[in-house]
Amino acid sequence: MMELYADYQRELDAIRQTFGYDFLALALVEPAEQQYVIRWKYAAGNRNERFRRIVLKSGKGIAGIVFRTGKPVFIPSVRDYVRASSLFNYPIIQSEQLESLGAVPLWNDARVAGVLLGGFRQEHAMTPELMQALKQTAQSGIGELDGREVASQ
Amino acid sequence: MTPPPEIGTMSPLMMKLFENSKEAIFFFDKTGRALAMNPAAEEILSADVLINLYEGSENALCGTCRGYTSDTEQQTCLDCYMKMPEAEEHTSFQVYLETKGKGVVPYAGSFHTVDSEQGTRVFMLRDLTPQLRIQERLYQNTMTRHVLEAQENERKRLSRELHDSVAQELMSAVVDLRVLKYMTNDETVLKKVKQTEASMTRLLDEIRNMSVDLRPAALDDFGLEAAFRSHFKRVEQSYGLVVEFVSGLARKRYPSNVETVAYRICQEAVLNALKYAQVDTVSVHLFERDGMLRLEIEDQGAGFEAGSDPVGTGLGLYGMRERAELAGGTLSVLSEPGIGTRVLLQIPIAEFLVKE
Repeated sequence: MMELYADYQRELDAIRQTFGYDFLALALVEPAEQQYVIRWKYAAGNRNERFRRIVLKSGKGIAGIVFRTGKPVFIPSVRDYVRASSLFNYPIIQSEQLESLGAVPLWNDARVAGVLLGGFRQEHAMTPELMQALKQTAQSGIGELDGREVASQ
Repeated sequence: MTPPPEIGTMSPLMMKLFENSKEAIFFFDKTGRALAMNPAAEEILSADVLINLYEGSENALCGTCRGYTSDTEQQTCLDCYMKMPEAEEHTSFQVYLETKGKGVVPYAGSFHTVDSEQGTRVFMLRDLTPQLRIQERLYQNTMTRHVLEAQENERKRLSRELHDSVAQELMSAVVDLRVLKYMTNDETVLKKVKQTEASMTRLLDEIRNMSVDLRPAALDDFGLEAAFRSHFKRVEQSYGLVVEFVSGLARKRYPSNVETVAYRICQEAVLNALKYAQVDTVSVHLFERDGMLRLEIEDQGAGFEAGSDPVGTGLGLYGMRERAELAGGTLSVLSEPGIGTRVLLQIPIAEFLVKE
């Protein structure tokens, strides 16, 4: 397990280095003993530890939407996307003060098993090209997740 | 003002009443021409209506009258009080007048004959604005209470339904799935069942969350302390915000409306801290002192200037105050930019102590 932890963290650090994200985080489904809840398990460039306490709800928040729909979310400008009055519905954006971001599903065995979120503390820093690269990263698999959208058999 | 011939013969006391009364008094002759009016009456009329009245033009009062309240209409000219025969006179009614500088004002009016021989009639007006305002506030308070009560009851019903039947049923389906796992050794089937179990467990969790969001059963079943604890845990899980909760309540339960008010206000205050204070922790203090249930919500966050333009709608604080008042309590909000915000709710419970 320790090795696995290092794996994910190292991969995140590497991705962040390559693309220059201010904040990069990976949310994963917890095992049965944890009621299969979704949590942010790994992060790089985080400002505080608030994200660790958050339990994601399917369909709510950025990662929740990605998780439920299996579709990427691309937000070049948080200010245009989220009204100030509903910003509290997106705790990770608020606590990490992100201004632009993208989030993609991580597939494993034809199911969304996680969400990879990359963000910047600057508007319009998240570009369509970066978004494309983030999708490719997720498709090539991270850690033990195979990144395959269609069942193999 | 031209005093009518009789006015000179009035006793000094009557004269004083006429001159200094806050009520507007008009005298009309039998044709509807104004005979006299007191200073209070002159005050409310605009110059042109005043001239028309003194010149004795027909229907001069119509220049200011905006109708009276009848059985069927708020403001009507049907069966005008000026035109009624003596036997059917309206002695007390509500009438609207276009006044100088204050717009249309409601008055309690009285119009009746004081001299049958001459046909002299008196029209007296008393400003109803303060009474109506008080009545309206009273009505609004009652309405607000009813609306809040209806909302809580409906929420309770939906919450129970979700918790007791929907979640129950789903729970037994999840249990069935767990049993299914022991009925096969087929790896692919096992994997699929496990995935289904995972999404159903999450769904179950979501339904329970919805139920608690609507109205926590813990509030009705176990009281404030339990409801607060589970609420704060959920706040931490949803937003990563830590609530330091200290409770020193003397008793477990309070009247249901007091518990509801305290819970909802605390919910709103914590949400406010979360939205605007930019903090990681909020402290909540719940205790009883001097026959008062006291709830303190404090943060060391951004704070705000009292009376400044609200970042949000500004309705939250208003709603909290409204709820507090409905339970006979008070709400005070102290905030200073850069230092933090402190919300204090106090609800008297002395009455409840006596009853026990």
